[in-house]
Amino acid sequence: MPLPPLGGPVYRGGDLLPGWDLLDHDEKSEQRFIERLASHDERAFNELVQAYEQRVFRLVLRMVGRRDEAEDMAQEVFVQVFKAIGTFRGESKLGTWIYRIAINLCKNRIKYLSRRHSSDEDELEPLAERTALDERKSGAVGETSRPDQAVEGYQIEKIVQECMAGIDPDFREVLVLRDVEDLSYDELCEVTGLPDGTVKSRLHRARAMLKAAVEQRLGEKIR
Amino acid sequence: MSEVPDTEATEGEDDDRLRSLVRGAMKEEGEPPDVLAGFQKKVRERSGGKFYADGWSTSRNPPEFTYLVTGILMLIALGVIASMLSLVLRPERVENKAAPVNVVAPAPK
Repeated sequence: MPLPPLGGPVYRGGDLLPGWDLLDHDEKSEQRFIERLASHDERAFNELVQAYEQRVFRLVLRMVGRRDEAEDMAQEVFVQVFKAIGTFRGESKLGTWIYRIAINLCKNRIKYLSRRHSSDEDELEPLAERTALDERKSGAVGETSRPDQAVEGYQIEKIVQECMAGIDPDFREVLVLRDVEDLSYDELCEVTGLPDGTVKSRLHRARAMLKAAVEQRLGEKIR
Repeated sequence: MSEVPDTEATEGEDDDRLRSLVRGAMKEEGEPPDVLAGFQKKVRERSGGKFYADGWSTSRNPPEFTYLVTGILMLIALGVIASMLSLVLRPERVENKAAPVNVVAPAPK
């Protein structure tokens, strides 16, 4: 199933579904669709979920970093949409609103999980860090050519993933939305509800934090 | 913050390198799960069966044509059964005979 594009409407079975952007959409069709959703039309919700499930799942997965958790969270996002659709005033695009719900749920979940598992992580994190570094130092990288380059690439990806997971959710949010999901700054402001300047400074700080963390783990500068 | 880039165009090579690293690390692996079924199950449970309680509403792609054909076939089958029953269970003919009536004259005063 094709994903809804960020910048345009999505057609499915003759119905117009909203895209993610503020531009280039048929307001009447979106209004009709939202009215169907507001009356809890089950088939309208089926269409909505089918249109956005992949994007929402991937966003949530990138935020929480665990597939089983992400699957449950993605379902929860749409349940929240189902519950709160009556409060949707149309001040932003429906897609942006869904993204905002997803991001807020993720942040709450990450904070809850970090509080719950803080003692466990204190013990496990140094172990994970030590293991990754030991693997790099053990000589697996560099002994032979191509396969080990792949191994090194995989290890770097693991390091970046772990460093991402260590970043505060408020900073991780802008990093994922901008650098992975490719949202524009306007869309970032819409989703986060933050002013333009704050988004830019937060993104700048997030990149700096991630870069420093990755370089510290790699023991070399990112080139 | 003075060092904060003002526009998207000012994102430098360092940012590009970091971005490609992040994208590589964040690329999705495996098939996305069936979110719809889980969503329907949660809504059904939390609404006490008010929503998504039947196969029609929970199907990802409801087989509308199958349902239509099945409905028409059922109607035809009912019609055939009704006509067969009307032949087999034909009602007994009743002849309309006038019942004998004794008109009794009123007694003289």
